[in-house]
Amino acid sequence: MKKAFVAALLIVTAIPLLIGVVALPPHGDPDTPVHTHISARYLEEGREEAGADNIVTGVLLNYRGLDTAGEVTVIFTALMAGLAVLISHKKQPEGDATYDAAEAAAEDAPVRAPVSPVVSFVVRLLAPFIALFAVYVIVNGHVTPGGGFQGGAILGALFIALTIVLGRERTRTLMPRLAQPWMQGAALLTFVGVGIVGGALTGHFLGYPAQASLHLARELMMLVLEAGIGLGGAAVFATLFLQMEAE
Amino acid sequence: MISAVDIRNAVTVVLAAVGALFFLVGTIGLVRLPDFYARTHAATKCDTVGAGSLLLALAVFNGFDASTLKIIALAGLVLLSSPTIGHALARAAHRTGVAPWQARKERAS
Repeated sequence: MKKAFVAALLIVTAIPLLIGVVALPPHGDPDTPVHTHISARYLEEGREEAGADNIVTGVLLNYRGLDTAGEVTVIFTALMAGLAVLISHKKQPEGDATYDAAEAAAEDAPVRAPVSPVVSFVVRLLAPFIALFAVYVIVNGHVTPGGGFQGGAILGALFIALTIVLGRERTRTLMPRLAQPWMQGAALLTFVGVGIVGGALTGHFLGYPAQASLHLARELMMLVLEAGIGLGGAAVFATLFLQMEAE
Repeated sequence: MISAVDIRNAVTVVLAAVGALFFLVGTIGLVRLPDFYARTHAATKCDTVGAGSLLLALAVFNGFDASTLKIIALAGLVLLSSPTIGHALARAAHRTGVAPWQARKERAS
């Protein structure tokens, strides 16, 4: 019954997607907007217009800002789905088929050993540099490859390494209970916030003021977005890791 | 006439060749060696000596400027992190009871 429902849901989701694929222009068609003017416009005007030296960042946060907001929503949804699976797995009553698998895995699980002093020393030595690098990648996404997603992944990895070395009690203070939901949703919330600010300035949700005099406002909006994406991404990694480690 | 540029190029070539050689040997070792510990040992050679000398080659070739400092910092990071990772892998394997390979055992089975 459950499997049939899942299959039906997948088919129902697949049909509109496949219809969409059929409606796409043939691959490499020179008459599509991408080839007639959009790419050229991005490359020629993107730097001034979008407000970022790195065209990728300009496209990601300005021209295709709504797309990125959707992407961030996908990540947040994935976090919720992951947490739902992890938590429901733990509460599964005995005798259930899925529980047996979990139990078998738990029996095979390695015995927890004390953290190696070498690993502990190197992680603690490198932690400030990794944190600095993460912030650099987030902020410098403006100019060089990088940005919130990449920097957030670095921050998340740092959190995981620190949790392994210092124990969850000490790293938990980095994510206080009250702030946790806000951090997990930071990327999405930032997009909504910046979107509304953009709406107030231009009349379009997530619009960027186009006047040359407001260049600073454009850059600031992007920076806030990058910071939000970075914080949110790191919080997603950290939450999933803490949940998995708690098993 | 041997100029400074020639010497620099020669040093670059030697360092890069050493790096490539270590990567080759390490990769062959990763595929061919008999157990987890030996393979870890081979694989970490790639990252420390292999990547280390390739990065040094780039630093020498580049001359002295800001990028060179970045490359040297990168080499330092690799030299610090890669042995640590090798150590952590081997330690975790040992703690969880992965038995090292012994020639005698293989003949018996």
